[in-house]
Amino acid sequence: MRRVLPAVLFAAALIGLWQLAAELKLINPIFFPSPGRTFGELYMQVTSGRLWQPLGATALRMLYGWLLACGLGIALGAAIGSSRTAREYLEPLLDFLRPLPASAIIPVAILFLGLSPAMSTAVIAFGSLWPVLLAAVHGLKNTEPQLVELCETLEMRRSQVLAKVALPGALPDILSGVRVSLAIALILAVVTEMQASLPGLGQNILLAQRSFRSPELYAGIVVLGIMGFLVNNGLLLAERRLLRWRSAAV
Amino acid sequence: MIAARPVGVSFGSRQVLADVSFDVPSGQFLCIIGPSGCGKTTLLRVLAGLIAPTSGEVTADGKAVRGPARSRAIVFQDYTKALLPWRTVAGNVALGLEACRVAEPQKSRRIEELLSKMGLGHCAGQYPAQLSGGMQQRVQIARALGQDPQLLLMDEPFGALDAITRQGLQDEVARIAAEQKTTVVFITHDLEEAIYLGDQVIVLAAAPGTGAGRIAERITVEIPRPRSQLETREDPRFLAYRHRLFGLLKH
Amino acid sequence: MRGAVIPSVLLILWEAGSRAGVLPPDSTSRPSDIVRAFAQALADGSLVRDTWLTFEAALFGFAIAALLGILLGAILGLSPRTERAVGPSVEALRPIPAVALIPLALLVFGFGVRMEAAVVAFAALWPVLLMTLSAVRGVEPRLLELSRSLELPFWQQLVKIVLPAAFGRIAVGLRLAVAISLVVAVTVEIVLNPRGLGHSMIAAQQALRSDLMYAQLLWLGFVGWALNKVTQR
Repeated sequence: MRRVLPAVLFAAALIGLWQLAAELKLINPIFFPSPGRTFGELYMQVTSGRLWQPLGATALRMLYGWLLACGLGIALGAAIGSSRTAREYLEPLLDFLRPLPASAIIPVAILFLGLSPAMSTAVIAFGSLWPVLLAAVHGLKNTEPQLVELCETLEMRRSQVLAKVALPGALPDILSGVRVSLAIALILAVVTEMQASLPGLGQNILLAQRSFRSPELYAGIVVLGIMGFLVNNGLLLAERRLLRWRSAAV
Repeated sequence: MIAARPVGVSFGSRQVLADVSFDVPSGQFLCIIGPSGCGKTTLLRVLAGLIAPTSGEVTADGKAVRGPARSRAIVFQDYTKALLPWRTVAGNVALGLEACRVAEPQKSRRIEELLSKMGLGHCAGQYPAQLSGGMQQRVQIARALGQDPQLLLMDEPFGALDAITRQGLQDEVARIAAEQKTTVVFITHDLEEAIYLGDQVIVLAAAPGTGAGRIAERITVEIPRPRSQLETREDPRFLAYRHRLFGLLKH
Repeated sequence: MRGAVIPSVLLILWEAGSRAGVLPPDSTSRPSDIVRAFAQALADGSLVRDTWLTFEAALFGFAIAALLGILLGAILGLSPRTERAVGPSVEALRPIPAVALIPLALLVFGFGVRMEAAVVAFAALWPVLLMTLSAVRGVEPRLLELSRSLELPFWQQLVKIVLPAAFGRIAVGLRLAVAISLVVAVTVEIVLNPRGLGHSMIAAQQALRSDLMYAQLLWLGFVGWALNKVTQR
């Protein structure tokens, strides 16, 4: 209790200050609604059920693209990581593509797919592909050589080696890549919604801004923050479960 | 039975092994000893089929070895890198059986049998990182036995263990080899371990000039089995072998 | 050398495909047209100007993030008590996707360099803050005792002892922040801020100048790659 008290007090003081500043109109209320109005708006959205549709739309958009990216990234990464020849031919290309801002391919995607949900999914999948792909390449490249020799003496087939030894060994790398990629997927879901006017939280906050409904804008930001938190911590939890063997030590 | 007919290995221009030949009859225990860097591990990898010799050949039961095979199991020195850290003890032992396509319910039965044979029954559900070095080495041996090998290749398996653990495992390996009539090639840098375990002991040494490993001496150990840590090591024959080989291992 | 094989083959196939009319001409300009558009954009100065506008906002935002991140990180790292009180509130802001702040920044600053820099600063703050925090915590405790026993004022302790000792890891955070700054700046431009490389790409796409758009995309890729190489030094 004594450990959390300072944190609670500080947060309360911050919100109190925010409320005070808004009440006294120290900052223009058009873009600075009080916490009361912000959380009131959020409460209303939850109770009236208006929140769920855009929330669901954004979450699904994020998940589709992310799942595509994970599937593709792990498959491609495994193929590239487990073959020295493939690495020699492809690694420089990957090196060039990696720092490319994921959002930079939005114009290209619009060119091919128009302002459509397919465009959004393509951009999310492409943008969140890299962390998974690179992590998978890195993880598989570093498969313990002695374990590979062990598999050879056991006369295991390539697919068996991949499934039983190489992929599980690369799992810690892959999982952290997967987590980064989900954060990127959320960002790109919001960006493409703003760009292409697709229904969802991203479009909602942009519309709120255009009509100066600042409590709605703030509420949207809070919801996106909570989503970001849940997404990251959910995967951290899954990671800890899947990698239980790591914390097992004498 | 495994035989090396003058085996030579070169990596590029560097010769690592030259003119190594020996025969190990079925069920016999061969120990190979030598200072570090004399090509012991390379020789073991050639016997396993992981490296092809540059000259000569290795035959197993009369057939030339052309690559790794399940009938020749390896126990690696560095157990921290030879077990799957994400699998439990039972899971690691299962790997060998999975490769041999042993189906349930035989699989579970075999795992249980192997674990109890190696004294691992109580830690079947633990992860390798939770075990001591000696226990991890037992897991490797259990996994190797699971593939029903005709030849067991052991690369300094007890090099990193303390003296007491080491002696316990020596007796266990000797017992299992005798029980299963497995041929064993055992690499070590410990002279007493080599004499205690071996039916034959081969000393490898770097040839002056080229630095390539070659056989400097070979002896047949004529001390009856079962041997005992206390009496065998005090046996005058044991001491005589020790005297004879000791000088060869000095640099 | 081998790394050049696949891109070259793809380029040749692309050129041949569009010459043969297999590829849709509106969305896939020929590589030769892209090279021409690139040369033109370089010659008329628009590419350099756009790049500078993007860099301006990215640098502005990065500078704010670096200053704030190092300062906050050092304070929280040096004082566990402050960290316990302030940390959770700071931590609560971190999961907010930076792009969610684009409408807010627009509301506050309007279009232009300031709103873009604000979003960049929020995104780039976290790596600097977190790396500084853990770097300062990792500073040899005897060094801190020394600085306290010298009775240096807080600022001098920070500048003379703590930050130099923690610099190696802070630099890692700064490097990450540089990369993030460029990405976020371009993203803001693509979404709505009418300036810089990101906006030019969208404009080129809308004007059906796909050759110019691809030229800008490749240029952006090169800039990102070069920035990466430079900061890794």
